[in-house]
Amino acid sequence: MKRMRLAALAIATLAVIGFAWLGGADAQDAPELQPGSPERGAELFIVACATCHGRQGDGAASGPAIADAGAASADFQLRTGRMPLAQPPGEQPLRKPPAFEEQAIRDLVAFVASLGDGPAIPDVKTDASLSRGMELFVANCAPCHGATAAGGAVGGGALAPALDRSPPRIVAESMIIGPGQMPIFDLPAEDGNAVASYVEFLRTSDPLGGFSIGNIGPVPEGFVGWFVGMGLLAVLAYLVGRDWRKAGG
Amino acid sequence: MTAERWITAALGCSIVASIGLVVTYLLGGQAQVEGMLLAVALGGLGAALVIWAASLLDAKPESEEVHPLASTQTTRKATLETLSPDEITRRGFLLRLLAGAVAALATALAIPALSLGPQPGRALFRTDWQGGARLVGADGEPVRVADLGLEAVRTVFPEGHVGSPDAQSLLIRVRPGDLVLPDGRADWAPEGCVAYSKVCTHAGCPVGLYRAEDHTLLCPCHQSNFDVLRGAVPTFGPAARPLPQLPLEIDADGYLVATGDFPEPVGASFWNMTHSGEAAE
Amino acid sequence: MLRWFDDRLGLASFTRSGLRKVFPDHWTFLLGEVALFCFVVLLLTGIFLTLFYVPDGTPVTYEGPYLPLHGQQVSAAYRSVLELSFEVQAGLVMRQVHHWAALVFLAAITVHMLRIFFTGAFRRPRELNWLVGIGLLTLALALGITGYSLPDDLLSGTGLRILYSAALSIPLVGPYLAFLLFGGEFPTETIVSRLFVFHVMLLPALLIGGILTHLAILWRQKHTQWPGPGRTEHNVVGRPFWPSQVLKSTGLLLLTAAVLAMMGGLIQINPVWTYGPFDPTTISAPAQPDWYVGWLDGALRLFPPFEPTILGITIPSPFIPGVLIPTAAFTVMALWPFIEARLTHDRADHQLLERPRDAPFRSAIGVSGLTFFVVLTLAAGNDVAAIIFTIPVETLTNALRVAIVVVPPLAGLLTWRICRELRRRDVERAAGERGGSVRLRRNAQSGFEEVDE
Repeated sequence: MKRMRLAALAIATLAVIGFAWLGGADAQDAPELQPGSPERGAELFIVACATCHGRQGDGAASGPAIADAGAASADFQLRTGRMPLAQPPGEQPLRKPPAFEEQAIRDLVAFVASLGDGPAIPDVKTDASLSRGMELFVANCAPCHGATAAGGAVGGGALAPALDRSPPRIVAESMIIGPGQMPIFDLPAEDGNAVASYVEFLRTSDPLGGFSIGNIGPVPEGFVGWFVGMGLLAVLAYLVGRDWRKAGG
Repeated sequence: MTAERWITAALGCSIVASIGLVVTYLLGGQAQVEGMLLAVALGGLGAALVIWAASLLDAKPESEEVHPLASTQTTRKATLETLSPDEITRRGFLLRLLAGAVAALATALAIPALSLGPQPGRALFRTDWQGGARLVGADGEPVRVADLGLEAVRTVFPEGHVGSPDAQSLLIRVRPGDLVLPDGRADWAPEGCVAYSKVCTHAGCPVGLYRAEDHTLLCPCHQSNFDVLRGAVPTFGPAARPLPQLPLEIDADGYLVATGDFPEPVGASFWNMTHSGEAAE
Repeated sequence: MLRWFDDRLGLASFTRSGLRKVFPDHWTFLLGEVALFCFVVLLLTGIFLTLFYVPDGTPVTYEGPYLPLHGQQVSAAYRSVLELSFEVQAGLVMRQVHHWAALVFLAAITVHMLRIFFTGAFRRPRELNWLVGIGLLTLALALGITGYSLPDDLLSGTGLRILYSAALSIPLVGPYLAFLLFGGEFPTETIVSRLFVFHVMLLPALLIGGILTHLAILWRQKHTQWPGPGRTEHNVVGRPFWPSQVLKSTGLLLLTAAVLAMMGGLIQINPVWTYGPFDPTTISAPAQPDWYVGWLDGALRLFPPFEPTILGITIPSPFIPGVLIPTAAFTVMALWPFIEARLTHDRADHQLLERPRDAPFRSAIGVSGLTFFVVLTLAAGNDVAAIIFTIPVETLTNALRVAIVVVPPLAGLLTWRICRELRRRDVERAAGERGGSVRLRRNAQSGFEEVDE
């Protein structure tokens, strides 16, 4: 019995390690990547995308035309896993783990880029001015995404997602393409870099005052004030106020 | 553990924490450490006192009489008599004049409170926009129609007044055919470039959110929605007035220019806002 | 030592009678003290903050260690708060303790007020102290609002804009009042220094005076007590002030301060460096005030777009939910002891408290009012709830609009029923102990009380 249990544990451990290694494979661990090939991309496109977007990206009954979407758009949608779509059409596509490996994404992007003349993937640098980035972020992005980039509801069933999982490239692409309900923010390259740098700063910095309770502001602060603060104090008032002698100690 | 032991332990922890606080401060300080040590220092002392009160004191419940606080009739009468001697209460006319003088003085002393703020005047009816003012972005650069892509949205100000709180406006480019503006405003949105006041007509927050697919502006304070294609009429939420629209035209060099101020007051409503007096042209 | 003072002031017997004064023991009687102790923490941390805060709205350039703000135009007030947070040792802890203490202060006042209400402690002769208490609540609210607006950051500045619009919305005097309070059309540079004067000088002075009055009346009238063996309407049974109550209360003071210190050190609150300085042309979403102003914001969110113009006078849409309803609510709250006395014809002095079930009408009204307040407060977070529960915010808002009308009366009715039922069971149980019969009569609060044979 004991040996069987040990064996089961060993197998389970190996399985976990195996899945982690396979499933969470970092794109960079894959065998040498090549630049995206429109030909390989075309094959993938027919299988995965043409049903909704048409063979040449000219649209179909259940999907819009993407011929002029450009590399930036394809890269954004595929890397954030929004495409292939998991939500019913009409609902906002939400981020999920990408369905394709790095090479497949490059190929698909190359193919979509070849269909028309949409925006290219921007060349993002994250050493730009944090100060300029914050100014631009608060003026343009905070109204929907929140000053803390924790996301927000924008009405009409849509939400501006939190940016904690958006690396600089994704941030830069989204400003250029304006995905879904997001408008297009056509900023000069320097300003785009500044915003991406600031978002990266927000993403990677620890809250300076302690535990940040979601970083959404007074709402969680109010709940914590009541349940942690007043809760603890009510318990303390009870402990201080009760008659310990009568209760036996 | 006996009560004495608990009290000793609590006080001991408190002392150690207090020393720790001093050391932390001298070493440069750190918010989380300071908070925890302070909590232990205070809490230890507090716990010690509470345990002392609960366990060491031999306090049996006692009783104390509660007498009605009201004084006797005689006492009250005597007090009233002391308070109101005839020399004061009989002089009716003088008393009334005294009251009048005090009221007048109070008014005179209170009047300088009006120095706290200027009269509103026509300030609420006007903004910095006027005919001929070019639209500029937050960076001060004038906006060219050619540079404005479809579905782009920008915060704009009159040239020379970047950052003006009441003139702040949103410039949005839509397909001209989609616009259904109120009568008489057909020429206010050249080439689908339409501009509205950014100050919410409910409680004055900047209407910073734009849902591009729905062409709807959303104010994050109380969730008022405004339909951009229909003259920014409110479609949800507590705002009752559309966002005032700015009349635009395109000048000879392709820049967007305002042809006048907003036709009605921007921002939150006020009681006499329909008394337009001078027209806002 | 005592002799030195007594020779000069003759206080010995007065002191002794004070020290022997009896206070009843029940843990719920300590809730008011918890509020008081939060205030003590606020005062002490507040003094520290005042020594560093600069109440000046003039724009300056930030050149401190927080890089994202470097080179930006901020107000001197905002800069002083950043300096306090990042360059003054223990500054951030003090700021955070102060803000947490403010949130908990108002929570404690609310809980204390509910205890007083639901046990009928406000009845004659304590109506006066109830009025003082409502005054203290109003002052505490004002202190909170003026306080969180002092850093002049994006979030609190937006809140000030809404308050300005609420003042503006008052018919006939609105624009004058708003311009007077703010020193001109919003935004002004002077508002921060004005709020400072209120927050640091005028309001604390009034609050301290009010607290002393509140305690003095309590001391003079003696504390109420629960019914029980040996307790009548003409005595107070408990333990003496010294040493028992003083030790317990001092201990509770220190424990309250300990909880607030822990929160201030471990949990971040109001990170104004991320919100950025106030800028009237932008906003961060979601935007809420501190919890205790939530009911006002919720009322503004839920009230429908009703803005009639009658005889040339416009009633702006924020007026009814933002000014009229709060004024009415506070007026009813303040006058409640008199309203209840009139309805129940109860003119007796009371030393004994009532269980909520023994006053079904009062409890029902109280639960109704509380539910109304809670729904409004939750409504202020409708956009946050929309993200967390992924419901469209419009659906949630409409649901809350229905709830605010339907739920409070239902809750009141339910409470009434529960009170009557609980009381009925009490009577049955008592009747059972006495072999089947007990004499009852209706008391002034339409509950039942037993008549001793």
